[in-house]
Amino acid sequence: MSEWAQAVRQRLVSHDVDPTRHSAVIDELAQHLDERYAALLARGMAVSEARRTVAEELEDEALERELRRMERGQPPSSPAIGASPGSGVLSSLAQDLGYAARTLRSSPGFSAIAIITLALGVGMNTAIFSVLNAVMLRPLPYRDPDRLVRLFESNPQRGWPEFSVSHPNFLDWRAQTTRWDMLVATFADSVALVTDEGAEMLRGSRVTAEFLPALGVAPILGRNFTPDEVAVGATGRSVILTEGFWQRRFGRDPAVVGRTVTMNSAPHTIVGVLPRQFEWGDDLDVLLPLVLEPNRSRGDHVLTVFGRLKPTATLDQARAELTTIAANLGQQYPADNDGWSVRLRSFYDWLIPEQTRQSLVVLQGAVALVLLIACVNIANLLLARGAARQKELAIRVALGASRKRLLCHGAAESLLLALIGSAAGLVLAGATIRLLSSYGADIVPRLNEAHIDLTAIGFAVISGVASAALFGLMPSWQAARNDAGQVLSDGARGSTGGQTRQRLRRALTITEVAFSVALLVGAGLLVRSFSRLQKVDAGFDVDTVMTARVTLADRTAFDSNAKRAAFWQRVNAEVGALPGIVSVSSGSGVPLTPVGGTATELRVPGFTPPRGTQPSADWRVITPGYFKTLGIPLRGRDFTDGDGPMVGPSVIVSESLVRRYFPDQDPIGKAITPRTLGNRPHTIIGVAGDVRGRGLDRDPLPTIYFSAVATPAFGTMTVVWRSIGEGTAHVSAIREALRRIHPQVAMFDVRAINALLETSFAQRRFNVYLLTLFASVALVLAAIGLFGVMAYLVSQRTREIGVRLALGADRGQVFRLIIGRGVALASVGAVLGVGLALWLSRLMETLLFGVSPLDPITFAAVPTAMITIAAAACYVPARRAMRVDPVTALRAE
Amino acid sequence: MTAIIDRILDRELKKGSAELVILALLDARPRHGYEISQIIEQRSEGEVKFKVASLYPLLYRLERRGWIAGTWVEKAGQRRRRYYRLTRDGRKVLAEQRKGWQRFVAAINRITETGNV
Repeated sequence: MSEWAQAVRQRLVSHDVDPTRHSAVIDELAQHLDERYAALLARGMAVSEARRTVAEELEDEALERELRRMERGQPPSSPAIGASPGSGVLSSLAQDLGYAARTLRSSPGFSAIAIITLALGVGMNTAIFSVLNAVMLRPLPYRDPDRLVRLFESNPQRGWPEFSVSHPNFLDWRAQTTRWDMLVATFADSVALVTDEGAEMLRGSRVTAEFLPALGVAPILGRNFTPDEVAVGATGRSVILTEGFWQRRFGRDPAVVGRTVTMNSAPHTIVGVLPRQFEWGDDLDVLLPLVLEPNRSRGDHVLTVFGRLKPTATLDQARAELTTIAANLGQQYPADNDGWSVRLRSFYDWLIPEQTRQSLVVLQGAVALVLLIACVNIANLLLARGAARQKELAIRVALGASRKRLLCHGAAESLLLALIGSAAGLVLAGATIRLLSSYGADIVPRLNEAHIDLTAIGFAVISGVASAALFGLMPSWQAARNDAGQVLSDGARGSTGGQTRQRLRRALTITEVAFSVALLVGAGLLVRSFSRLQKVDAGFDVDTVMTARVTLADRTAFDSNAKRAAFWQRVNAEVGALPGIVSVSSGSGVPLTPVGGTATELRVPGFTPPRGTQPSADWRVITPGYFKTLGIPLRGRDFTDGDGPMVGPSVIVSESLVRRYFPDQDPIGKAITPRTLGNRPHTIIGVAGDVRGRGLDRDPLPTIYFSAVATPAFGTMTVVWRSIGEGTAHVSAIREALRRIHPQVAMFDVRAINALLETSFAQRRFNVYLLTLFASVALVLAAIGLFGVMAYLVSQRTREIGVRLALGADRGQVFRLIIGRGVALASVGAVLGVGLALWLSRLMETLLFGVSPLDPITFAAVPTAMITIAAAACYVPARRAMRVDPVTALRAE
Repeated sequence: MTAIIDRILDRELKKGSAELVILALLDARPRHGYEISQIIEQRSEGEVKFKVASLYPLLYRLERRGWIAGTWVEKAGQRRRRYYRLTRDGRKVLAEQRKGWQRFVAAINRITETGNV
């Protein structure tokens, strides 16, 4: 062969020139160069110089352009004169990308499926990643958030690992520790704002003066509270407004500072306004000074405490020191503090609930699996197309294309796919995030902060390119490995190279099925948990009951227990008399609301608690009719208006309390001594059914109900009513009725119990929807993958099938053969997937309810469904195989 | 400055004239690529050279336009060669280009002559 042919061939490698044209060009150019070389030598030129001169003959952009024009699929047109000549790596990259773009354009079906698949995978991953980033990875909106630590009193023996802090204990901590820059106490407190238009309830938080400095927040107007305003004995009549409230109520009036407003019947001076970014709990309206009470009971755990660690202190040091202080306080005040220690948690841990974090990690894992499946699918597609292009690749190898060059082509094609897929994925991610935020903003903290930013774009591109690397190189690598001679001599079927390829495709399909099965099992477990949860008996009527919080804004008019008790009695009478109201009552808290759940220790005569423990129960204060209104079964009797202080203290207890402290006894008529509300014996007059008041997924707590008539009556209660027809229809009538009792009464937080129930389901529903979505996508991808493999198999085996049919095989047999192949593949995948799921499902145990992570129903149903779908995916290829015409099939060879 | 103008003029002239040159050379009889490059180099006394990487693209372009046609010719004891001949279209184009070229050269001459006065 010609000496210069190799050089010319090298030049052509990067161009996809039609093979016949290809060899003609090589022949012609090589011959010219041979002659030129010979002529130069004949002229007496040195060999090395002649070589260099001839080699230079091949260097010209015009040739490059012309060769590109010769590539397949190029429309004939005049050359672009004066196109800028490229050079080196960049030009070869640009060339490869250009080539890749043409290849993708020439098979639009393949490209569309690949890009959509990748966009789905990348888009979902980016969306979940953005959520994860916003919720868990991005710093909290406070200065140096990692030095902020939440502090609890802790008494794990009594079942209170994290408990609020009492006033005197907080004061002692603050006086004795050395590891903190600041310790802050807060206390959520609603206040009634009274204006000429009536009373409005504001969400407030009482805070010590260090609160804002500890968070690193400065007022945009006015000032923080002064030490005087929070000093022991101070009146606490200053108020700082949040930006939202300032806007809503004062129209952003800058002169608001210094103005006096009436809150809780007392004049308060506005001293400052907070910046918009300030964030603390739910939509706070105002901050008020927290005046600490050193003489309050140490058993009265009411404060939310956090602190800012000194830069030199570690969390462990701070914990050790506070544990010692708490132990000393326990010895000093054994009556209240014995058995109490401290627990510290970082702000992150505290603000982002464990369940949310767990969900997000599981979802990210799941969605990564979806991407992996997408990759496998695209690899499969590329392989199938690779089979079609096998000859062409083999010719290029035979003509001297280096393996590296082929890999470069493959890489360029994958890179282009990845970039387009990532871009489409980003668009999809943006839409998904908007959907998630609109749906889940109340469920997942900080979700509303999620958006597409540089990090998300980076994530999308990186995951897209990583995927491309994964799915793209495999087929090229395989092509490069193939023996070109063998492929070319292999006849039209290309079965030798096809064998390995088919094996690889089968392995990929099995992988895909396995991943899908694992995802489906995860989704199945969540769905089963969710349906279990919805079937749980809440213990109360969830359908027709409404709740609203009501507060007595005029504190002077209701300055005694008797007056307040009388008010709540009148609420029952007046609201109960409204047309359409079936039943009404009030409670210090109602099921599923976060307020009013308070725990107390108690003594039960005749019950000896295990060593080191103390009986305890939740307690509530209610008015007569509470059980009837909420549909809670009751034996014994309800409170009546006659259960006043004169009759002697009485309580109603829950079934679970009876089971625990009065096993196999009738408790009615017996006495218990709750520590709260006076620490005196109370006679049990009734036993109420258990209520899952903290959410359906949590066991009911033993509960004690006190009569609002007999105990220190509350200034704020939750009114519950049951009505004929829509509960909301009566809201304004009830509000009017309350105003008639006293004009300065505020009603707020009106909610239907079933809406509260929905809220308590929301996190789970969120998980179920997302995981089901991901699993469905995975299932569809796996089915597509399987379909592709089987369809290809059938097209490759048309001749074989034709022979079988010609030799008398039954068409049904052929049909069953193809279906059987598909089902076999799916079955292997399903078995592997079940194994994977057995391992993975344990990681999501905490997200399950009433279902074992090894739930046999899910583990049986999912593989069955998968195999059924696999059989369905094979149906079309199998039909096609069945209809093969033996004559045509054989003639085609 | 002049160097740049020289280069541009050089490039444009070559580009415009290259097609003409090739068509003209094929007017007499069919020739193969190497022969064409040899003749150009000899007749221009080395002033004009076509290297492989610019000659063949030009040939392929002319062929694509249908002005010339290439055929493989095998002769005993020799490697096969591709001979290019002028087509009917090519002949028309050549006639036009010759006219155009003469007008162009005449115009340039007139300009440069008056410029010398």
